[in-house]
Amino acid sequence: MIVAFGGMGLWLHRQQVAAELLRTEPARILSDSRLLHEAVRIGQPLYQRHCVTCHGTNLEGSAPRGVPNLARNAWLYGNDPIGVERTILYGIRSGHPKARNVTDMPAMVRTGQLTREDAHDVVEFLQQLAGKPHDEAAALRGRSVYYDKGNCHDCHARDAKGVADYGTPALTGPVYLYGGDRDSLYKSVLDGRHGECPAWINVLTPLQIRALALYLVSAPRP
Amino acid sequence: MSIREDLSRVSVRRSMILLASGALIGLAIAGYGLFTSKGSRSRGVPPEAVALVNQRLILRSDFMTQTQSEFSVPFAQATAEQRRKVLGDMINEELLMQRGLEMDLPSYDPEVRNALVAGVELEVTADVLAQKPTPEHLRAYYEQHKDKYSSEGTMRLRDLLVKTDGSVEARRELALQAVTALRKGESVDAVMKRFGLADSGRFMEAGHVNTDNIFQFAVRAKVSDALYNAILPLQGGQVSDPIVESDGVHLVVMVDRTLPVPQTFEEASDRVWKDVTNEALDKVRAANLAYLRSRAEIVVAPDNAAVPGETP
Repeated sequence: MIVAFGGMGLWLHRQQVAAELLRTEPARILSDSRLLHEAVRIGQPLYQRHCVTCHGTNLEGSAPRGVPNLARNAWLYGNDPIGVERTILYGIRSGHPKARNVTDMPAMVRTGQLTREDAHDVVEFLQQLAGKPHDEAAALRGRSVYYDKGNCHDCHARDAKGVADYGTPALTGPVYLYGGDRDSLYKSVLDGRHGECPAWINVLTPLQIRALALYLVSAPRP
Repeated sequence: MSIREDLSRVSVRRSMILLASGALIGLAIAGYGLFTSKGSRSRGVPPEAVALVNQRLILRSDFMTQTQSEFSVPFAQATAEQRRKVLGDMINEELLMQRGLEMDLPSYDPEVRNALVAGVELEVTADVLAQKPTPEHLRAYYEQHKDKYSSEGTMRLRDLLVKTDGSVEARRELALQAVTALRKGESVDAVMKRFGLADSGRFMEAGHVNTDNIFQFAVRAKVSDALYNAILPLQGGQVSDPIVESDGVHLVVMVDRTLPVPQTFEEASDRVWKDVTNEALDKVRAANLAYLRSRAEIVVAPDNAAVPGETP
């Protein structure tokens, strides 16, 4: 009898905390150690079960697959917990009507918007922005591709730091979405990119999604 | 007699009154539930929702995102007035959407109908659209369909028809003579005049016979299989044998031709990608429609079916 009552009491307590987690604004949960602890308790195993395949054991992501390095805070859409929750709910280019899919990296060369030479030049410009060794003349030409012919700055911002509203990554390093080497950058301009994240709205409960978002935002970084 | 004794005494009248009262209360509750939209409502709003509109949730997450994007402020900094406005708008939208369903809007409004159809298609094809074919898959597809990938060839041709009366045999004979004359180098105009030939009218441009280069696919679209098969091997300056079609006897003069040039995988990669995706989309769409048909009851009036007894 005591065990049954104890179990019921625990269950009721969990239900109450769960409701509190859902009703409290995410930003406030981050500064409430009791609720945050509960969110992490729920969110961490979910991450290990559902997200680790793409995002890595330690949130390090995967450059070949275009999965952002969350361990180094390379958040495509910002690290506001509400935004992260939305990404988990509806995904990125997941096909869900509410998914994040405002922009796509176009295949600038394949579609004829840029030539292969333009692409090489703009890569040199990006190398220059990142403070890496680069070809000066090509970087100068690449600069005009970035700001004029290619209109790259429209999505990636004038300072090439990316725009969270569009989910465009920073191109200035040191952390890159698909890798910062010349070949990876060139391939992005040549073929375009089309990363995606599935929508979890029909897989996880709202509580689990909230907890997962809070875990991602609050997980300790190396 | 005390009240206690009275209550313990069996009373048929009291039992009947209690039974009737219970039945009436039950009926009233059931009637309220059956005949009002609020009958089966749940009283509380689930924690994940910010409101319930006729039992449909408005998610907190959607509400917070909407507030942030509408006022460009972090949700925590949104004023009560801003939150009230966003929630009010979301409730209104939900009400209008529900009213649209009540009115069965998709069944008669073409725009809503199209949007709904497009939405369902998108749902069905979402996985395919989100998938990225691997380079190995693309290359394998290219190797299997190499014939498809070439630059578009062009043809400049005259499709001539024997105009004279007479049997098919007689017209075929005349066409053979015309072919011989053309192959000997006589001009097209002279042969047309001498043998009474006319342009078939299949390749017209603004009311005139098109004597410019025409894309090969356009030629293919305008002629029968038999005629196209006769045209395809012709090089510039060559003349086909006579071809008997339902509208008469044809002969084709290939004035000039640019042959399609096969594309390498790299050159064709965009088209290959598109074709692979389209093929996958077609498969998914077909499977979805097959599933929908399998569970639907479709009855077609026999007089309207293309093939009686067969569902289109």
